[in-house]
Amino acid sequence: MKTTFRIPLTVFLLLVCAYAGAQTVTGKVTSISEGSGMPGVSVLLKGTTIGTTTDADGNYTLSNSGLPTGTLVFSFVGYGTEEVEVANRTQIDVQMTEDIFSLGEVVVTAFGVKRSEKTVTYATQQVSSDELTRVKTDNMVNTLNGKIAGVTITPSASGVGGSSKVILRGNRSFVGNNQPLYVIDGVPVTNAGNSNGQPNSPFGGSTNVDGGDAISTLNPDDIESISVLKGASASALYGSQAANGVILITTKKGKEGQTQINFNSSIIASKAAYTPDFQNSYGRTTETASDSWGAAAAGTGDKNTDEFFRTGINWTNSISLSGGNEIAQTYFSYANTKATGIMPGNEMKRNNFMFRESAKFFDKKLTVDGSINYTSQEIDNSPAMGLYFNPLTGLYLFPRNEDIMPYKNQYEYALEKGYDRQNWYNNEDIRQNPWWVVNRNLNESIRKRYLMTGSAKWEFNKNLSLALRGNIDHLEDSYEQDLFSGTVAALVRSGSGQFILNTQTTEQKYGDALLTFTVPMESAFKVDGLVGTSITDSYVTGTSLGAGNGLKVPNLFIAQNTVPSGQVSNASTMKLNHTQLQSVFGNVNVGYNEWLFLNATARNDWSSNLAFTSNGSFFYPAVGLSGVLTDALDLPSVLTYAKVRVNYAEVGNTVPIYAPNPRNYLDPNTAAIVISNVLPFATLKPERTKTYEIGTDLKFFDNRLSVMFNYYKSNTFNQFVRLTPSAATLHEVGYINAGEIENKGFEFQVGYDVVSNDKIKWNTALNGSRNVNTIIDVASDRNINSFVLTPSNNTNYQSEMHVGGSYGDIYGYKANRDAQGRIIVNNDGSPSKNNAFQYIGNPTPKFAAGWTNTVSYGKFTLNVLVDGKFGGHVLSLTQAYLDQYGVSEVTEDARAQGGVKVNGVDADGQAVEGADPEAWYKAAGGRNGISEFYMYDATVVRLREASLGYTLPISNNVIKSMRVSLTGRNLMYFYKKAPYDPELTMSTGNGLSGVDIFNQPATRNIGFMVNVTL
Amino acid sequence: MKTKYILGILAAAVLVSCTDNFEDYNTDTTGLGDNEIVIEQMFKPMQHELFHDYQTAQNLGADAYAGYMMSPTPFQAQYNLNYAFVDGWNNNAFKGMYNYVLLPIDKAGKSGAREKAPDLWAIALILKVEAMHRVTDKFGAIPYSKAGATPTLVPYDDQKDIYNQFFAELDTAVSNLETFLANDGGTPFQSEDLFFNGDYAKWIKFANSLRLRLAMHIVKADAATAKREGEKAMAQPRGLMATPADDAARAVTNGTSDLYMISHDWDDNRINASILSYLIGFNDPRLSIYAQPATKPGMAGEYIGIRIGTAIPAKDDYKTYASINTTTTFTQTKAQQLMCAAESWFLRAEASLRGWQGAGDAKTNYETGVRVSMQQWGVVDGATVDAYLADDESTQVGYVDKGAKTDVNDSAPISTITIAWDETSSNEVKLERIMTQKWIAMFPEGMEAWTEFRRTGYPKLFPVVNNLSNGTIDTDIQVRRLAYPTAEYSTNGPSVQDAVSRMGGADNGGTRLWWDVDKANF
Repeated sequence: MKTTFRIPLTVFLLLVCAYAGAQTVTGKVTSISEGSGMPGVSVLLKGTTIGTTTDADGNYTLSNSGLPTGTLVFSFVGYGTEEVEVANRTQIDVQMTEDIFSLGEVVVTAFGVKRSEKTVTYATQQVSSDELTRVKTDNMVNTLNGKIAGVTITPSASGVGGSSKVILRGNRSFVGNNQPLYVIDGVPVTNAGNSNGQPNSPFGGSTNVDGGDAISTLNPDDIESISVLKGASASALYGSQAANGVILITTKKGKEGQTQINFNSSIIASKAAYTPDFQNSYGRTTETASDSWGAAAAGTGDKNTDEFFRTGINWTNSISLSGGNEIAQTYFSYANTKATGIMPGNEMKRNNFMFRESAKFFDKKLTVDGSINYTSQEIDNSPAMGLYFNPLTGLYLFPRNEDIMPYKNQYEYALEKGYDRQNWYNNEDIRQNPWWVVNRNLNESIRKRYLMTGSAKWEFNKNLSLALRGNIDHLEDSYEQDLFSGTVAALVRSGSGQFILNTQTTEQKYGDALLTFTVPMESAFKVDGLVGTSITDSYVTGTSLGAGNGLKVPNLFIAQNTVPSGQVSNASTMKLNHTQLQSVFGNVNVGYNEWLFLNATARNDWSSNLAFTSNGSFFYPAVGLSGVLTDALDLPSVLTYAKVRVNYAEVGNTVPIYAPNPRNYLDPNTAAIVISNVLPFATLKPERTKTYEIGTDLKFFDNRLSVMFNYYKSNTFNQFVRLTPSAATLHEVGYINAGEIENKGFEFQVGYDVVSNDKIKWNTALNGSRNVNTIIDVASDRNINSFVLTPSNNTNYQSEMHVGGSYGDIYGYKANRDAQGRIIVNNDGSPSKNNAFQYIGNPTPKFAAGWTNTVSYGKFTLNVLVDGKFGGHVLSLTQAYLDQYGVSEVTEDARAQGGVKVNGVDADGQAVEGADPEAWYKAAGGRNGISEFYMYDATVVRLREASLGYTLPISNNVIKSMRVSLTGRNLMYFYKKAPYDPELTMSTGNGLSGVDIFNQPATRNIGFMVNVTL
Repeated sequence: MKTKYILGILAAAVLVSCTDNFEDYNTDTTGLGDNEIVIEQMFKPMQHELFHDYQTAQNLGADAYAGYMMSPTPFQAQYNLNYAFVDGWNNNAFKGMYNYVLLPIDKAGKSGAREKAPDLWAIALILKVEAMHRVTDKFGAIPYSKAGATPTLVPYDDQKDIYNQFFAELDTAVSNLETFLANDGGTPFQSEDLFFNGDYAKWIKFANSLRLRLAMHIVKADAATAKREGEKAMAQPRGLMATPADDAARAVTNGTSDLYMISHDWDDNRINASILSYLIGFNDPRLSIYAQPATKPGMAGEYIGIRIGTAIPAKDDYKTYASINTTTTFTQTKAQQLMCAAESWFLRAEASLRGWQGAGDAKTNYETGVRVSMQQWGVVDGATVDAYLADDESTQVGYVDKGAKTDVNDSAPISTITIAWDETSSNEVKLERIMTQKWIAMFPEGMEAWTEFRRTGYPKLFPVVNNLSNGTIDTDIQVRRLAYPTAEYSTNGPSVQDAVSRMGGADNGGTRLWWDVDKANF
């Protein structure tokens, strides 16, 4: 009713105004970030329905008698609304600022389909390119951190070019993938890492060096926007690949009627944000001892970390050229990134090329779009995490009264000493000379990625179109490790050094056909939808040359110089891992009177991983309903917009390959066949997640205040549980479908334009989320109530999942206590340890929040993002080691005050108040000590991003705009109790969360950026 | 209508065309299917894996309990070496033989080895008995007859029944091999044999000696069966293992022996104070063959080992103590011994004491045992050996831990046994003499040495310095068994609980096994 009334009124008013003899205002609307004219911006005379939209160049003309004293309101999807008083002017140019929190009118949904926001029945959140490039970092995904409610981003502590773990609304799968599907321009791409995989042992390991993920290879300047589909309902159309949500990336393309050249240059300096607290008052125990439990001695160790860490520099230059007419558009870009890490030797070089061409044929009925993306990336000397090949063990545990400089200045002897060349004071496997590690334990990860995408869309008429799309995502990886002669003997299989070379090709091909339709009917109902089919085919192939028994000729790192360790070659053919997924899907949307919307989708998947089972395919449905209350009801005028939505979906997670069909393998030790010890899993079913979500989007005070809120609950069943059956079955590995993980929680986002006038604009936005993860069942029918995610491997960290617990629970050793809770102290002063692994904490934050402020004043723009992760507990094995070796400040304090203050009791029941520090920390610390003593509150509140931009007052025929900015990332911790940054992870896989084992410290980054538009 | 039509075509296109290749995709071409393996190909891994998880399954337990080895590495403050069991280590000791030896044997059986290749089946049975007696001798009742029969709960067999099955399996093995040799079938196993180069006669001698070993294990629990099987072993036409050429040692095929790896590469294994105290006390020529002296400042060049249960503050403190000799004896590719010929002579010597038929003279057996052992380790000078055997004065020495701050690890000698045979001694003294020399001869195979120590109480071993078993294990009686792994309780609970209920004690290290009867040796 309301709508139908509006249109005649508008027409009437326009007629009246035209008659009255109009005043005219003209001007140009430009984007503050891109500097270019913005087409399609709505220009409205405030308080009226009089308005227009800008043309292709961003120009507008508006005539009305009320203009001279009125206020113009400029609005556009994804940008903050601008209000300007006309004040008798006839020319008003406006710069618009992107606003991630505005609830735009058009959102990108599955398969790249753009839909009117109000018809969407689930939560989506969009991030503009400006947000991604304002404060750059070497992995684009990390720039989303703190900006989207319900998205947890955990970067690997693996230096420049490292991968990142992205979890939407909690972990769902015991052993399967928990990360979202990445989709570029509607077509899924792979996010594969290199052949190293991620470590799942506290020791790390030589071949578990992170080589970065695929998504980090993208050039953020090529991205137009990112949409995050958090719930299963949103992602249901992508089927089993998208059980954990989808990150939809829309890339830039040439725009009709304008040519533009953009040049971006940024330089960012990084420094270690913290180092451990050391002591400098006590020396080593004896002349040959490796610990610092000796007599008081002046320490010289203060400089050690400064001598080792350096300032990392990230220098990124990118250029893009775009242009086109209404028939064809072209976009080309090139970016070059050179980054050095804070550890010597750690370096990344990356080149990105992108070419995209779009064209229309046959009277614009056929639209063809194609792009080629090529990335080459080289990462040198990614820091190893864990205890092996890590320079920080040797650096941090170095005796405090010894001078480390001789070992820095000369980390190796000259050749005449023979091949045992490392200059170091001991030869323990976990502790080498740090400079030896970074110079003589080298690694290199090289990646080349070709991503080719093409699509053709035929519009039969305005109600029916058919699109065919496809892509080939091809990655070539190699990983090389060169361990020089002189590396500690336990880590290499020969005194001559060791060589590893893995080459891997990953290819994912995708094709789909989509028929999109709108049912033409004159009714209160509107029906549209799509049906489609898709095929995804992927494989990974490669050869890995293992360490074997090291090298023959020292330090000649070539394949033919390696010595096989067993009876077979040390080169091995990787499993092909060929999987194919075929699908048929459909989606129908029914709208009623433009305010009530029903959305239903269905998909059926056929997976090759289910071959040899009785379950050939799987089906899942999703349904959602949304209503725009402000269009349906007469609500108070402060409420500009109110939408409620509810949805339910079921989706399956991909099943692992080969599980139903175990094979027998070549035994490298004997060159014969090892009988498979895996029980075949013939009844394998895909994991199934059932989820519902309710939510609302509200805007108040003429869109000045916006509020989004979601509540969701998801339960994942039929977990793929790997179990170790009783050895007496003779099998070591079995699989069952069992278990249930529940995730429930809420998310909210509030945006408010605090000040908005033509001088100052201040937008503030707060997002927050809480997810509660509960393991409801593991395999109760098999009497199994726990599941080890990361085995301890003889350390005091283990990640286990227990019924009633939650994902990533940390298990470790506790002290024995008496009935009063006093720690039992042994006669020698050491705490008595309980040898059973017990629950000691969970690293997942209880609540996460991000608070963004954007202030623009004239040509200055200030952005500040503060985020906080509250709750959770993490383990620092680093601190445990520092204490055990007597190098930490904690041990100094204990020694200075004559003992460790304890609330203890001895074997005879006598209270113990102080314990000998050496006895205490040697037993409590280290990798087999009492882990509960090294659990820390994981709460961190930080200044995540800050940038101050200035648009230079330059505008001429050559330069359209020029902008400089000063940026900062991870600038300061307002609150941090743990001795490291709990956000960093050793692994972006499922395990090893919440533990720091000599991880590289987080970095504090300050940069300068120039952006020129020609 | 149109939509449905197109959807129909799309669906049909998917369904009809493409899932044909799915089975190919889901087949890992880097492996072989069950029907693609020849039976012989299963044998090298099952021999190799007899030492699966050697460090945690044996070295950090049995080898130390036998007085042979001790680790300088303080893996944990409380661990098997001070009698506080590490469940994961006990689990390794439990599961390895099932998963890596019994599994391929089971598969060979299912592939028709019994009928198609009775000689190979005989080898499988001998390996099975060798592997599994080492498991039951650690834990007691274990799943045996029904192992592999079901995918979930597998019942435990009492140790007595297991031993009876061992004897029956050795019957089949010897019979099959004798039949094969009678038909002169050649040496088809030569290329797969990691013990005897395909010589089935040696396999028979190994089987016979194993029978005698197992018979002796149960002498206190079931004297009649012990005597029957022992006498049967000694009556076999091909006899027992007699010279070092008969030694059962598994060749190293993967470049580095487990013992070398943990001792040399990882510095996780050093020699025990007990074995050194006898070798030093006896002026034994095998001392420098078995051991290499300490390198620690202040004791360099001295044969100072580590006593079990020593509190080790840091690895650096003890890794420079005397080691096993990895330089010239237990070298990188030295075959790993499971049974030596000398052992069979000492078993015969004890059989003589027990009056078993066919055992022969105790003194001759004893002295031959020593001579064969000397020969095995390259002590070829006859005069040296004669002098050694005539030594009726030398006895074990005490232990002084020169590197420790206190004398808590030190011990006076605890045995007065000498070397020279004395026919006038009591059987008990004779047994100590035999067992002490057998123990020296069997080095470094700690599993059997621990078994025989438990059965007879000999040789006398320094007890654990720190006993953290919470009173479950008596320091002087010493550890009697390993506890079942918790994995069994969670995956095979009713079966293990049933076994424990019949064990005659709690599931800890203080409860005696069936054959470990708490009574006099004679």
